[in-house]
Amino acid sequence: MAGDFELTRNITIGQYLPTGSVIHRMDPRLKLLAAALWILSISLCHTYLGNVAGLCVCLALFALARIPLSYGLSGLKPAIPFILILAILQLLFYGNGYGPSGQVYFHWGILRITSASVRVVVVSTLRFVEIIFAVSVLTLSTSITELTHGVEGLLRPLGRMKVPVHAFALIVTIAVRFVPTFAMEMEKMMKAQASRGAEFGTGSWWNIARRTRDVFPLIIPLFNTALVRAEELALAMEARGYVPGQARTAYRRYRAGGRDIVMFLAGMALSAALVFAPFPF
Amino acid sequence: MGESNRGDILTVSNLHHTYLQGTPLAQPALFGVNLVIPAGSCVAIIGHTGSGKSTLIQHFNGLLRPQMGEVVVNGARLSNPQVDIRAIRQQVGLVFQNPEDQIFERLVGDDIAYGPLKQGIPLSEVVQRAKWAMGVVGLDFDEMKNRSTFAMSGGEKRKVALAGVLVLRPQILVLDEPTAGLDPRSRRDLLRRIRDLNRSEGLTVVFVSHNMEEVAYLADTVYVLAAGHIAFHGTPRELFGALDERPDLQVGAPPGVEILRALHSRGYHVDTTRFTVPEVAEEVAAAASGQRGPAAAAEPPSGDLSAPPTAWEGPAHRREPDGRHPHAHAEDRGDAHGR
Ligand SMILES: Nc1ncnc2c1ncn2[C@@H]1O[C@H](COP(=O)(O)OP(=O)(O)OP(=O)(O)O)[C@@H](O)[C@H]1O
Ligand SMILES: [Mg+2]
Repeated sequence: MAGDFELTRNITIGQYLPTGSVIHRMDPRLKLLAAALWILSISLCHTYLGNVAGLCVCLALFALARIPLSYGLSGLKPAIPFILILAILQLLFYGNGYGPSGQVYFHWGILRITSASVRVVVVSTLRFVEIIFAVSVLTLSTSITELTHGVEGLLRPLGRMKVPVHAFALIVTIAVRFVPTFAMEMEKMMKAQASRGAEFGTGSWWNIARRTRDVFPLIIPLFNTALVRAEELALAMEARGYVPGQARTAYRRYRAGGRDIVMFLAGMALSAALVFAPFPF
Repeated sequence: MGESNRGDILTVSNLHHTYLQGTPLAQPALFGVNLVIPAGSCVAIIGHTGSGKSTLIQHFNGLLRPQMGEVVVNGARLSNPQVDIRAIRQQVGLVFQNPEDQIFERLVGDDIAYGPLKQGIPLSEVVQRAKWAMGVVGLDFDEMKNRSTFAMSGGEKRKVALAGVLVLRPQILVLDEPTAGLDPRSRRDLLRRIRDLNRSEGLTVVFVSHNMEEVAYLADTVYVLAAGHIAFHGTPRELFGALDERPDLQVGAPPGVEILRALHSRGYHVDTTRFTVPEVAEEVAAAASGQRGPAAAAEPPSGDLSAPPTAWEGPAHRREPDGRHPHAHAEDRGDAHGR
């Protein structure tokens, strides 16, 4: 892995790709709500055909947002190990948990692979991919400012119950916003330490003590700069008149227009179809 | 330019680099860069912000591998994936911008010794090297080795970081904006130490800078990067002399040169191609003594100070690498290679 320091390459969360498509221009509150509903319905859909249809819709979203699919695929890459491990565990052990449901394909000791466990594996893998695609389209087409307004707008009703909605929205926004920044910082730190002889990821995986020690030169400076950065951010916000808990007006007012409502209804219809349509298998 | 010369410790030929290649955020940074670093020289890389300087120097020790083109360090081709990258990183010591961020050990001595200990070098030798490296950057070994790294000034931290790279005993020292953010005194001190390393220890030095005073003080060769190309290449003297014809380089002149130009525009016959502080002082003194004032303009100038620029061999302290004259020409003029 020598020479491979491009961490930002695989991080799509928190990045914004402005293409000016209809998806980009949609009202952020409705977009968030539609995305949440869509993800919910993906998690409720447990038929093969339904998930294939869901995947097609996700791919269509990329086209609609004019975001190259390669970008969604690179966001998928870091998740592959999780998907694989999950799939293997489910394949091996799911058949036992729910009794002898469906046809048994393979049985050896405590391992039992049934048609039900195969279904769970395929469906959950597809779901995982669909959700990553949907979230990628959402974050790539929504700037941080829009995301904050969206979250805040949707949570506003809770504000009446004394929930600190604005503070919550701000925390989420800052966290997401700084993911690429920290990836950049980490990249720079890895390069700087490699320049003076450090090596990362070369120790054997079982040698946990050594591998842990290997990351000290990264973690310690990163914590340091993170704390400094947090302090600077707080100062910069206060210097520009930010007072926690104070009522604020927004520079941009979001008003859901006719097109936003039509798109939202289309999203709701798709979500409902995914859950309630009688997919044959 | 592609051929490698025996006296050249590092050559870069037709180097291209694109960040995030193959993604929609692809960002081209270098387009066919050619550059030669003779052993023992002190090379400045300057250029507008975003011109690709940091990208270029990260190729020197293999942090970035050539996507196209070649980088050769001491005969080793870095485009070859089999090349021993640890050996390259030991030969080419790279100090990042704001290197004080990378200090992580609690004690100064431990932080400096990190690299060689990592390489498995015996402790006794590491101590010897650390002593040398700390001496070079001006940190007293016995006093500083057990100091806490968190209770140090910015200038001291930078010295620690520099020592942490020097302790690897590199043959080439590459510095990215070494004096950025330092106070004037620390800046002058650091520059003097870098210069001593180059002039007396024979270390090859490459540095990135935005400060023309530093370039005038340290460099014997300058490369100007503009939008990922080498836009100019020559001695500092040639660069400062060519600035009028080359506004595209977006390079300012050092204050000394500005002073001489101001005098010149007031009718003093000063040599505006001189740029180091002692040279400028001589010119100004000559102008002040009336030798070359507007009144004396009609008389032919006398004395060695007025020697025509072509006979100028540079001040005595300016050591030419391997006794050769630094090859000097502007890329765009298409001159044949000077050697
Ligand atoms: N990690 C990165 N990912 C993507 N693009 C990058 C990255 N680092 C640099 N770039 C881009 O590459 C180009 C050259 O950057 P580089 O850092 O080499 O410039 P520089 O000459 O060192 O500038 P400065 O004087 O500001 O340090 C810039 O356009 C920059 O935006
Ligand atoms: Mg830079």
